[in-house]
Amino acid sequence: MTDELSALTTIFTEFYYWITVVLMFLIHVGFCMYEVGASRYKHHQHTLMKNTMLIPLVTVTWFLFGWWIYWAFPTGPGLAPSIMNESAALITDESTFSAKWYLPNTEYMAVNLGDHISGVFWAAFLLFSWTAASIVSGAVIERITTFAFGILAIAIGSVFWVIDAAWGWHFDGWMLKLLGYHDAYASGVIHAVAGGFALGILAVLGPRIGKFSSSGEPRNIGPRNPWLVTIGLFLIYTGFWGFYAACNIPIFDLGPEYGMEGVTYFTATNIYVTPTTLSGITFNFLMSLSGGLLAGYVISKGDPFWTYSSGLAGIICASAGNDLYHPIQSLIIAMIGVVVAYKMHYWVERKFKIDDAVGAVAVHGYAGFAGLIICGFVLNGYPSSGYSVGAMWVGTDYAPINPLGMFIGALIMFFLLGMLPGWIIAKVLHGMGKLRIPREVELAGLDYEIMEAAKDDEKSVASASR
Amino acid sequence: MATVTNWIDHLSAKEVQGAIYPGVGSEGVLVIILVVLWIGWHVIAARQESEKLEKLARKRHGPNDWKSNVTDG
Repeated sequence: MTDELSALTTIFTEFYYWITVVLMFLIHVGFCMYEVGASRYKHHQHTLMKNTMLIPLVTVTWFLFGWWIYWAFPTGPGLAPSIMNESAALITDESTFSAKWYLPNTEYMAVNLGDHISGVFWAAFLLFSWTAASIVSGAVIERITTFAFGILAIAIGSVFWVIDAAWGWHFDGWMLKLLGYHDAYASGVIHAVAGGFALGILAVLGPRIGKFSSSGEPRNIGPRNPWLVTIGLFLIYTGFWGFYAACNIPIFDLGPEYGMEGVTYFTATNIYVTPTTLSGITFNFLMSLSGGLLAGYVISKGDPFWTYSSGLAGIICASAGNDLYHPIQSLIIAMIGVVVAYKMHYWVERKFKIDDAVGAVAVHGYAGFAGLIICGFVLNGYPSSGYSVGAMWVGTDYAPINPLGMFIGALIMFFLLGMLPGWIIAKVLHGMGKLRIPREVELAGLDYEIMEAAKDDEKSVASASR
Repeated sequence: MATVTNWIDHLSAKEVQGAIYPGVGSEGVLVIILVVLWIGWHVIAARQESEKLEKLARKRHGPNDWKSNVTDG
């Protein structure tokens, strides 16, 4: 960097993403607290350890291949040509945003004086990956093996959500071009896909012992530590600020970017490089949180667990269009999302005997799915990209946002890249006898031996005289 | 191993080399090591977990036995 202005812009952008990473770390802290609070005493420590170990597993695989997938797969491959090289193949050529630069053995995946952005951008996306895996983690507590969860966490965190991000989040993604897909803050790209993935696993994993009576009636296994659940969810809210900021590009001159001659227009943009403001999305974040809490309180009749979760579900439902919605639209959409999530959770639980221990499929999956569909109607007609607006199915330019495209997009996120892979991988692990812990261990408690050892330690210390 | 031995020479070069970590050019080997560590971890951790679960399952503790192990804090 040799001129002051480009240096300031670069270092600001670098620091901006770095801050979002630190903030988003709180999402994981929140998920850990939340899961421990929701699990029963005899499973606490293993529950925590399972969620903790996804951090290194997803990080390592994200370094090895996850980040590469994001840059390689926007074209499908084979579904719509890239605007960078006009080819529909995997993007691995010499173009600026090619996956070639993000192979783990390139010099850009390290300390490099010529690249101040790759590392922080890589990390911001990595934190999204942890979130995707952590969403799944809560649903399967108290009966999945750590080995199976590790494999599943890598699958959702470093493969499937990344494919959907390349398809529906990357500025060159085929879903934007063919379908007019729009998902600014990841209703589908993170939440619907992770919720669907969790549902696929749950269908194979089965419920916790005692969750359903012999007649099939569900029993409530409520959170064991509501305070920890409360703090956990508040931390997730806090980290979500970082998530929203990380989905934006903080400063961009759209004039030359869009090829507008003589036009200079500096603005923040969403991930699709279309204009929005950090200020505007702050309105919408808070209003959708509020809408979720208001609706959750009423529909659950003041149940704390559901009310807090509903705040999250509200944000998630409005996230697809929160770059453009009016705050009151955002609040109303959040309320609708909460009703959908709550009703669907209990319907699916009764109908299919699905034991989603923390309501993750509901809060993330159903609310995210609903958010995508609603976005298709409310933002109907907006361009999905600033580059070249065209029509659906053409593929060489970008279709506008529309209800059908968003509905198809929601199906892709929840079922094709979420539920189906989750179900298949869980089936394979189940076939290997590696998916679920033995029944005797589930009854005794995963922490039995740790607790027994702690008791022995306590006795020996208590009986010591010096 | 050192990629940089003099910062003044490094930064005043006509084209400043961006990569400054030790052993530039050995990235392929480092990636292979990481893959081995990653897969190896799964193998070892899975074996440890299976042994632990089998041992605990054999003891057939009741669903409330854990309560006798609650410490005073």
